[in-house]
Amino acid sequence: MEWLLAIRYDIDTVGDFLFNPIILRALRKTLYIALLAMVLGVGLGVVLAVMRVSRNPFVSVPAGVYIWFWRATPVILQLLALWFGLRQVIDEDIFRDNWTRFRAAVVTFGLNEAAYMAEIVRGGIQSVESGQMDAAKSLGMTNLQALRRIILPQAFRVIIPPTGNEFIALLKNTSVAFAIGVVELLNAAKIQSARNFKVMELYTVAAFWYLVLVSIFSLGQAELERVMAASERDRPETLLSRALSLMGTGSRRGI
Amino acid sequence: MLSRSLSRYFLVFAVLALAAALAFAACDDDDDDGETPAVGETPAAGETPAGIDISGVPELQDGVLSVGSEIAYAPFEFFEEGTEIADGLDIDLAEAIAEALGVEVEFINTGFDGLIPALQTAEFDILVSAMTIRPDREEQIDFVPYITVGLGVVVPTGNPDNVTGLDESLCGLTLAVQVATIQVTFLEDLNADVCADNNIDIVTFDSNPLAVEDLRTGGSDANFSDFPVAAEDAAQSEGDLEVVEPQVDPEPYGIGVDKGSTELKDAIADALQAIMDSGEYDQILANWDLEAVALQ
Repeated sequence: MEWLLAIRYDIDTVGDFLFNPIILRALRKTLYIALLAMVLGVGLGVVLAVMRVSRNPFVSVPAGVYIWFWRATPVILQLLALWFGLRQVIDEDIFRDNWTRFRAAVVTFGLNEAAYMAEIVRGGIQSVESGQMDAAKSLGMTNLQALRRIILPQAFRVIIPPTGNEFIALLKNTSVAFAIGVVELLNAAKIQSARNFKVMELYTVAAFWYLVLVSIFSLGQAELERVMAASERDRPETLLSRALSLMGTGSRRGI
Repeated sequence: MLSRSLSRYFLVFAVLALAAALAFAACDDDDDDGETPAVGETPAAGETPAGIDISGVPELQDGVLSVGSEIAYAPFEFFEEGTEIADGLDIDLAEAIAEALGVEVEFINTGFDGLIPALQTAEFDILVSAMTIRPDREEQIDFVPYITVGLGVVVPTGNPDNVTGLDESLCGLTLAVQVATIQVTFLEDLNADVCADNNIDIVTFDSNPLAVEDLRTGGSDANFSDFPVAAEDAAQSEGDLEVVEPQVDPEPYGIGVDKGSTELKDAIADALQAIMDSGEYDQILANWDLEAVALQ
């Protein structure tokens, strides 16, 4: 049979590598880096956001400078600086022995993510009506108490959707860690394709796993948003809630 | 009030956008897609300076021999410090070959792992990038052998891990190497063989200089590249690094040509023979103090 285009694509190679232990190990590494960095990013991001909205310039300005710096430089530069740069500058065995590539990647992505999370959380805090703060204070709460008990819980609803986006972006960005020798998903695929020259096939393998990871987290995010919705009426349907109601359990919306 | 402050915002924004646009426009002139300036003679139809008939070579009819290379591997190919001028043994040989064929030459800088796929998709005519001829590569492209080079292991000065070469002395160590090189293949072979119980941790980088930097800053225990490169890296390391002697078995490097391009392959082989006969080949090797890599 004559084909108009000569297509060289070996689907068997994709099958061979989809569950290859090297690829799966790299997948786990991608996931660990993203999850740990996100925990660091959210934690530090909330602190930075609270500092940022402070009326005390000694508190808000350092937070502003931090956010400015980490958002205004490319993450690959930050990665190279925190691995090669720091290791060159700090010529100390105790530091070099403990500052592993994996840790350098987690810390870099975490510090970078914190800057973006800080802006998201700040937006969330500022979306809560200022009257809420006055009311909390009139009940005798301190600033921090009011923030923790009144403002942040309400801000969370605004914060969660963009945070999900951030995590998905972070998950994919971890591939940049190859610059410092971390063998994560895409780069494990790249190394394997360098041996068998099946470039497109191994890109397919990497793409498949990214799609799986992102899909799982997207479903989780939709579910979280549903749970956090302010009222029953605003609750969006999710795949899971629809499946549950089809099975006769879960929420019975719309009767 | 609101509309006034809004329009002020837009004004600032427009000024910034305009400034950015002008800055880009100013750059446009010297934007050359990473290709280095072409050198060589103007193309002549039919007979070439070396008496090779290139009229049957479709790739050369545009008068340009485009060469793919990963230009970060001194002394074979590198950019002269602070410039975008390619230099090195491979670069000089490619220029001599193009001159013998009576065509201009241009170099296209491509990541090492992308060179073979790019050649197969005709992004350039040939690849000259310190590439060792290996059976798995020969399944993909054809090679014209042009020099013979051994491999070398670089370690911190004093050789703290007592590395003796490409052998069981590497087991359990962290090796920094460039992705898609035969060094990776050799180390994986060791891991499947003598190092099966105590694997070498193979850490790969996009370019060899990054792998060397990783070794210098203690991220890995050794670096593994081609011997002249290893020697150059040790020499440039301000006493931090040394090469393990002796070098690992020399093997031929090849100029890569796509499998369909038999006419081009013959023309390259003829041109290489011509510069060998004229003595230019030996002269170029001597210029780089690399007489030892002459094709055997």
